[in-house]
Amino acid sequence: MSVTVKKTIPVVIVAVVAFIVMMDYFLVLPPVNEAGKSWTSSTVTDLQNWGIILTAFSLGFGAVNLFYLHSKHISRRVPGQWMYSLWLLIVIVIFTVIGVFMGPTSDQYNWLYNASYFALSATVYSSLGFYMTSGLYRALRFKTVESGVFTIVGLVVLARNAPAFAVYFPILKTWGSFVSDILTTSAQRGIMIGGALGAISLGIRTMTGRETGFLGKLTEEERGGGAV
Amino acid sequence: MAILVTGRIFALLMLIIIWIVILYAMEQAKKKLPPFRKLTGLDALPEMVGRAAEMNRPVHFTTGLGSLTESVAPQLVAGLAVLAHVAELCANYGVKIIYSVYQAQVMPLATELMKSAYVKAGKPEEFIAEESVRYLSGAQFAYASAVQGIAERERPAANIMIGPFYAESMLFAETFNRIGSIQLAGTARGYQIPFFAVICDYLLIGEEIYAAGAYLSKDPQQAGTIRGQDYGKALALILMILGVLMTAVGSSFIVDLLGM
Repeated sequence: MSVTVKKTIPVVIVAVVAFIVMMDYFLVLPPVNEAGKSWTSSTVTDLQNWGIILTAFSLGFGAVNLFYLHSKHISRRVPGQWMYSLWLLIVIVIFTVIGVFMGPTSDQYNWLYNASYFALSATVYSSLGFYMTSGLYRALRFKTVESGVFTIVGLVVLARNAPAFAVYFPILKTWGSFVSDILTTSAQRGIMIGGALGAISLGIRTMTGRETGFLGKLTEEERGGGAV
Repeated sequence: MAILVTGRIFALLMLIIIWIVILYAMEQAKKKLPPFRKLTGLDALPEMVGRAAEMNRPVHFTTGLGSLTESVAPQLVAGLAVLAHVAELCANYGVKIIYSVYQAQVMPLATELMKSAYVKAGKPEEFIAEESVRYLSGAQFAYASAVQGIAERERPAANIMIGPFYAESMLFAETFNRIGSIQLAGTARGYQIPFFAVICDYLLIGEEIYAAGAYLSKDPQQAGTIRGQDYGKALALILMILGVLMTAVGSSFIVDLLGM
């Protein structure tokens, strides 16, 4: 595949689309319709719809990948895996059949979804409590000065959020609020500003074809000549 | 009718300034490569893949939730940049890599990146897309359970998580920690950073994930964007200090300017 097809065309498309989306955010360019919306608004909506259509196509790609991988597990009888793969494919078929023939908004489909996925999802989510506890146990240990500070601050915030401690030691409320409102918020904002600037620079790299996460690593030849 | 949207004028101005600064820094970097601050997590990647080779176990990689059409897309792209590098390392060391996918739309992009990495390593025949790039589910906890399942069954020696992560961050980090995987995590989602910091061996915080692609490629122009980013940070810092000082003396000039 030539560099033009593989890199230049995608980069040009990304740059043009990015400019249109940014123009729509910052500018109201004439002609403007009765609702006060610029022509860029309808263009951006169209682009978003294209994105949704492409996503739907890629779901098919995902389904093929699932069937390929798990059929292989079943045919090879991979120990500790094949029965789960079989169960997965059975469930996919059941959901697909009911969804196609009865509709994804039918009572049968809704029942199936609520009785299986919804319940399982809530179970996995609630297991997070146990993982957080074991993580906290490992975190709150005096090993170094930093971990010592972390432990003390962690215990203060923990005690502040426990009603019994907060009632008997009201000072914990002030300390806890200082940690969460002043220290944590200011650190989070610093991370946010850095992150936003990082996203801008990544955007520029993507729009100029320099980002490796978008089109892969550049060859020496492309580095010298530029991708665009 | 005003062409500029009120309330976004200053943001546009800042964006243009930062763009110019970054493009200037990219040009400057062509003449002289700017020095990098060491990112231990990224430097440890060969060690992580090497460990997997010694243990004859796979390397697991995931970019978390989020799609290419959401505001978290830059984090996802940043994760893919690291994926390309890790795939090349795995190809060189002869280690199996498993990339767990949440959004199916990422699959073609990831497949192409990994294929290119294997071609670059001179081992295109070793890349089996259907086994390395695994679509799990577009539902958060189904995806989380599937990743935990991969961890328990295939016992990867290394786990790399870079991208937008939500509640599943703790589930992943704890599960892989329990099976003894060496872990590198990175996200720009502030709420998840502490979870990763507590459990993972290496951590990339916020902007560091965006710099990963440039750091690993050592491409002068990519490195230039990081220098430009630093100028942007200096500008933000100056504005903050000015804002604090002016607000302290009773002036709302900076606040009004930001709200323009």
